[in-house]
Amino acid sequence: MTVTEDRPGTFIRPDGKEKVTGLGRYTADIDLTGQAHAAFRFADHPHARITRIDTRAARAIPGVYAVVTHEDVPENLYGGMIQDRLLFAKDTVRWEGDVVAGVAARTQAIAREAAAAIEVEYDVLPALPDFVANAEPGAPLVHPDWSSYDGDEDMGREGNVVGHSTIVKGDADAAMATADVVVTSRFVADASQGAPIEPRAILAQWNGDRVTVWTSTQVPFAARDGVAHTLGIPQSHVRVIVPLLGGGFGSKCDFHFEAHVASLAQAAGRPVKLVFSRREEFLAPDHRREGMVLEFETGATKDGHLVARRATLHLDKGAYTGEGGFFAQMAAMHACGPYELDNVAVRAMLTYSTNQPSSSIRAPTAPQACWALEQHMDQVAGALDMDPVELRRRTLIRQGSHGPTGQVFDEIGMLDTLEAAAEMIGYGQELPDDEAIGVACGWWPSMASPSGAYVKLNGDGTGTIVTGAQECGTGAVMALPILAAEQLGMRPDDFSILYQDTDAGPWDMGASGSQTTFNNGRAVVAAAQEVRAQLLQLAAEKLEIDPADLELVDGSVRAVGAPSTSVTIADLAGTGTPLLGKGSGDLPENPPTDIPSACVGRLGLDSFLAPQLITHAARVKVDRETGVVRVLAFAAAHDSGVIVNKIGADGQVYGGVMMGIGQALSEATYFDEEGRQRNPGLLDYKLQTASDGPRIDVRWIEVDTPNAGPKGSKGVGEPPSVPTSGAIGNAIAKVVGRHVTQLPMTAERVWTTLQGQEDEQ
Amino acid sequence: MSTYVEARDVAAAVAAMADGARPVAGGTDLVVGARHGKAPLPESIVGIHRIPGLSEIAVTDGVVRIGALTSHAAILASAELAAATPGLLDASAIVGSHATRANGTLGGNVMNASPAMDTGAPLLCHDAVAVLTGPGGTRRVGLADLWTGPGRTSASADELMEAVELPVPPAGAGSAYVRLQYRRQMEIAVVGAGAYVELDDSGVVTVARVAISALTPVICRVPAAEEALMGRRLGTNGSISSRSDAVSAQTSPMADALQAAGQAAAEAATPISDVRASASYRTAMAAVITRRAIAAALTRATGGTVAVPASDWSQR
Repeated sequence: MTVTEDRPGTFIRPDGKEKVTGLGRYTADIDLTGQAHAAFRFADHPHARITRIDTRAARAIPGVYAVVTHEDVPENLYGGMIQDRLLFAKDTVRWEGDVVAGVAARTQAIAREAAAAIEVEYDVLPALPDFVANAEPGAPLVHPDWSSYDGDEDMGREGNVVGHSTIVKGDADAAMATADVVVTSRFVADASQGAPIEPRAILAQWNGDRVTVWTSTQVPFAARDGVAHTLGIPQSHVRVIVPLLGGGFGSKCDFHFEAHVASLAQAAGRPVKLVFSRREEFLAPDHRREGMVLEFETGATKDGHLVARRATLHLDKGAYTGEGGFFAQMAAMHACGPYELDNVAVRAMLTYSTNQPSSSIRAPTAPQACWALEQHMDQVAGALDMDPVELRRRTLIRQGSHGPTGQVFDEIGMLDTLEAAAEMIGYGQELPDDEAIGVACGWWPSMASPSGAYVKLNGDGTGTIVTGAQECGTGAVMALPILAAEQLGMRPDDFSILYQDTDAGPWDMGASGSQTTFNNGRAVVAAAQEVRAQLLQLAAEKLEIDPADLELVDGSVRAVGAPSTSVTIADLAGTGTPLLGKGSGDLPENPPTDIPSACVGRLGLDSFLAPQLITHAARVKVDRETGVVRVLAFAAAHDSGVIVNKIGADGQVYGGVMMGIGQALSEATYFDEEGRQRNPGLLDYKLQTASDGPRIDVRWIEVDTPNAGPKGSKGVGEPPSVPTSGAIGNAIAKVVGRHVTQLPMTAERVWTTLQGQEDEQ
Repeated sequence: MSTYVEARDVAAAVAAMADGARPVAGGTDLVVGARHGKAPLPESIVGIHRIPGLSEIAVTDGVVRIGALTSHAAILASAELAAATPGLLDASAIVGSHATRANGTLGGNVMNASPAMDTGAPLLCHDAVAVLTGPGGTRRVGLADLWTGPGRTSASADELMEAVELPVPPAGAGSAYVRLQYRRQMEIAVVGAGAYVELDDSGVVTVARVAISALTPVICRVPAAEEALMGRRLGTNGSISSRSDAVSAQTSPMADALQAAGQAAAEAATPISDVRASASYRTAMAAVITRRAIAAALTRATGGTVAVPASDWSQR
């Protein structure tokens, strides 16, 4: 790694050069001798009963090595929070990406031809794409056997409703009646995608009864556990290795297709490789950002005090649960937002449909809920005839505030982010009448999770960190040497890192939940502290000085106050004595809450541990005749605690804001009436390009956060796209004269809103 | 079994095409289309990208000749074309991405015959002809006669387009192409319009050509829009805004003409509804975008500056 000179402690990531020069090797670049190529037969209808599967014609095609269906694998239901899915559909297909069969063949073309040649007969069932209607009692069931499924019992399941969360605080009805103004709003958010630049690839090879899977996953241990569970083999028989990962943004969290490919490799008796086309990368993963319908009602007093909030949120779970079962809880917290609210009645429902399943995409539920809430907040400000920033200044949480569930906040920088963002964007400046500035605030919890790491020293005094942490593009793993080096008086450059291999590192939850520095950083510090103790002990014996009087500085152990009395780490490590530490660190506990009656808390998300706090401000220009919106300038102020590596953290904000702009203006997966995707490709799923990017100014409000990660750090990766679309929406509304109530706020939707405004005048 | 041969001259390419080969130069339509499953790669392909003489831009005897292999990037770099055909530069500047513009050729764009192609409307407005060479010799076909439907041309399978030719515009001429775009790169036209005007010394429109893209099965001229402009005189201050509010504030005859021309384009459009836009939005945008293209062409005709691409200018 390169330690930058102008900012000590920051570094340029070591895998950067190979990636930008094309030398890096991703999963799809790996080939094994004798490998076959995989293709899937996907469901031919979004919702249907399978009456017959005949693979004979496919097997007869020359070059086909294996065809696998539900008959060829154990009937083990799987799913992170509810076990509601089979690897290969048996009786029913529930969305267009359900996998009916897999083929391994000499070439990908033959595999695709054979997949198409499999005869599948169906009784077509009515599609159930309307997740709001599906939540009604008596609605037709996506999973008639839902009550027999194993799963997390704290989700509030009932029929199609996978998760049901409420936050009830005070008496919202009574308080609403005392308000000077009451504002109601309704918003609809379309589904969107992680859209990583690398379509996923998987390569599986068996050696006897053990399988090695190279896969583009953000969560190697979840992938390993999924293979073991669905194929009915011990976890020790599955090794998952992740080559360079070409982005994920959440879409490569969870176990997906590793077992499909492993079962094909077993049946074919040779290595099998799957590489998705871009179209498949859109259609097949059970992992996209959920659509939502959100209704808010807020009462406020003339002086800008929020007296009550009611909200009802509907979230589209799609056909299967995966790891996304916690969304109702998370959305309920985001319907409150980082505001002081005395009286709350929020209800959120996460409901099955026959759409593509939703699961974690960067800050799941937050961008849409925050977009809706923050526009609603601007509407409240409008009703009060109060400046929206001033309303936030009066209502945002601060040290000592009680959150929506009674959590009492420690030192936080929420208000500082508001002032910083307003200052950076030039809030209040004179602008042309087709430009405006919008501001939005948001929050995101830090996730406490067990994690582990080893640190070992080599004979020449260098070190190696062996970690279970995974890298998905954030570079967080590459900050770990900074933390180890600080403990050991060494340089970050002295360390190599072994990771992305489940047989090497201890368990880690993976590149998800903005948690790598927060949890694995703590583990690395703990492991390094063990090595530190070993070094001090060895040095104490050698120098005949009490360990308490020794310090580690510049690659040596030396006597405090007498630096010439020292021994180098290389000398101590070179003796062959194992210098080896392992660590996990103490898990921070979630802050207590005081509302036992609220159901939001049962999955442990009722309070926000070390909350990451954000204010975004956008200056936009609206082309009134076309509805096309350009973001001209952007300001992002974040409290993510103490920043470990500023270059990496800034990069997360730049990328997160660009993703947020896409979600705000152009990115959506559109479904037809049956739940088939209408735009599964990068021509019509419109990501923002570099040319669309505005200047982005970033400021870190570095609060040394207690009960947080190493050095008082919090997470960084997910918050940068949380309030982005809300800030843009509020800016658009100032030009247009009313809020655009559908996300994304496409040119046509902005234009339609403008037309409606003209019609009323 | 697919075959690939590389032609060293036009005759070799034509011979290969007569045997059933499809020509490929930049491959930005053929290869990308195959990857998207639009159409499989042809069984037989002839590479034409190394044929000498087909990537030249020449102005002789009042004719601008642009070789079929001229890339969009080369069009953008040409000072001669910047002066003669600014509308073509507006189009080449926004085709696909930087990579598309480096590899994609004008010939490929024209012969692909997409109704959403960006270079089509400005070329049509510049009265361009396609120079086609087949076994029987060379002929020139006006673009309105070349494009017969989405992805279809009147060229026979063994005719190679060597170049497009168009008359050198006189002094007082200006052209522009404007596209509705949701983002600045990697975009496909949802609504596009080209315009070409000639003004006499007193600022009266003596020639007007207007064409629309992505709004009809084939890119086409809009005669009613052209009639609305003919004989109109620019206001004394000479500045033409692309915005209807600013234009109507002037309440000049030219502002009325722009409105009428835009309306004519909207009436000529037969748009579809799809994931990119509804038909009603497309129709409304046809008027706006056409008006902006004409405004940009008029501004250039008066010697005013409209930076390439005019799509960016029109959104200011």
